[in-house]
Amino acid sequence: MAMKGRFPVRRTLQYLSQGEVVFKSSVKVMTVNYNTAGELSEGARKFVFFNIPQIQYKNPRVQIMLFRNMTPSPFLRFYLDNGEQVLVDVEDKTNKEITEHIKKILGKSKEMLEKEERERKKLSHPSTFGPKKYHLRECMCEIEGQVPCPSVVPLPKEMRGKYKAAMKNEA
Amino acid sequence: AAMLPALRRCRPGSVPLPALAAALGPGPFPGLCPGWSPRAVPVRGRKPRHDPPAKSKAGRVKLPPPVDPEELLVVLERYRQYRLVLSALRAEFRAEVLQRKREERLAAEGSVEELEEHRRLMAWNDEENARQRARREERFKKEEEEQKRRKLEIAEKQARKMEAFQEEKEKEVLQLQEEAKNFITPENLEARIEECLDNPRNYNFAIDKDGRIVKRTVLS
Repeated sequence: MAMKGRFPVRRTLQYLSQGEVVFKSSVKVMTVNYNTAGELSEGARKFVFFNIPQIQYKNPRVQIMLFRNMTPSPFLRFYLDNGEQVLVDVEDKTNKEITEHIKKILGKSKEMLEKEERERKKLSHPSTFGPKKYHLRECMCEIEGQVPCPSVVPLPKEMRGKYKAAMKNEA
Repeated sequence: AAMLPALRRCRPGSVPLPALAAALGPGPFPGLCPGWSPRAVPVRGRKPRHDPPAKSKAGRVKLPPPVDPEELLVVLERYRQYRLVLSALRAEFRAEVLQRKREERLAAEGSVEELEEHRRLMAWNDEENARQRARREERFKKEEEEQKRRKLEIAEKQARKMEAFQEEKEKEVLQLQEEAKNFITPENLEARIEECLDNPRNYNFAIDKDGRIVKRTVLS
């Protein structure tokens, strides 16, 4: 597997799925203004470097824009679908504090996420089987405790059609 | 005949035919033409594509199935109406489902508690921003004070340096003035010469390590 960049762990699925911020559906655009130099922007820089991939992974429909060295102090701006703009000042904050802050004001709460998860589970029944796209298993042979797939393990003689037919012919 | 393609095929003279095929007769409808020219061969079964058709099929004329115009018209019209109704029903149901989904989503989001919650969170965010602003102003004030203090220090240092320098210079001037008293000028030149000649100084002495004069030799 290729290791690209300074912190290739940011590219792993495990790291990305550990992001906690899932935005409410009213958030459409997130804009980050920060500076590439200066102590006060350090938290914002870390946030952009480490946490924005996680956020984008969890919110593929949110547009995220980064602006560098345009303002003296760093801030975040969220544009909601009713036209409202939410300004978050992040000067002198660590990246953990920033994620906590936005999770609190614009993220889906844990109960909401669990509820959505349950709704999604309700749509599909786990015990049915069929095409991989819609079901967990494709054939009965994949379930534990059932007869294994004859392509892997040959069926015993008594279950095979030709044996049964031969027996019937004999009798 | 109507402008239907199926009927157009059946019109006499609409499709050019070799005279041989016309003489043979297309079948139940004399005067009607076949849909395909006898040379066009459809699907290949057993033969590769570069083999010619068999000799037994030399004069074969394939005709499309016979079409009754009135029946065709009636059937097509019925199909058209059926499909129209079905697609309308489908569109209707689709729209209804979408509408219901949209309503449910709006109801879930536009509920009063949610708005309340949102406003509360926005208020909290504003407070947080205000706190941040206060912190920033404090920081700025501190920095300004620091700067002022530093400037004052520098100014003081400068002043002190200037003073020291001036003092140095004054000392030198005084020193010089002191020495000027002992200078030899054209006026007291003669007097000084007389004085020197009157008091011969004897430098012939030896000193020990402590600097005391040990021995003096008499001046000759």
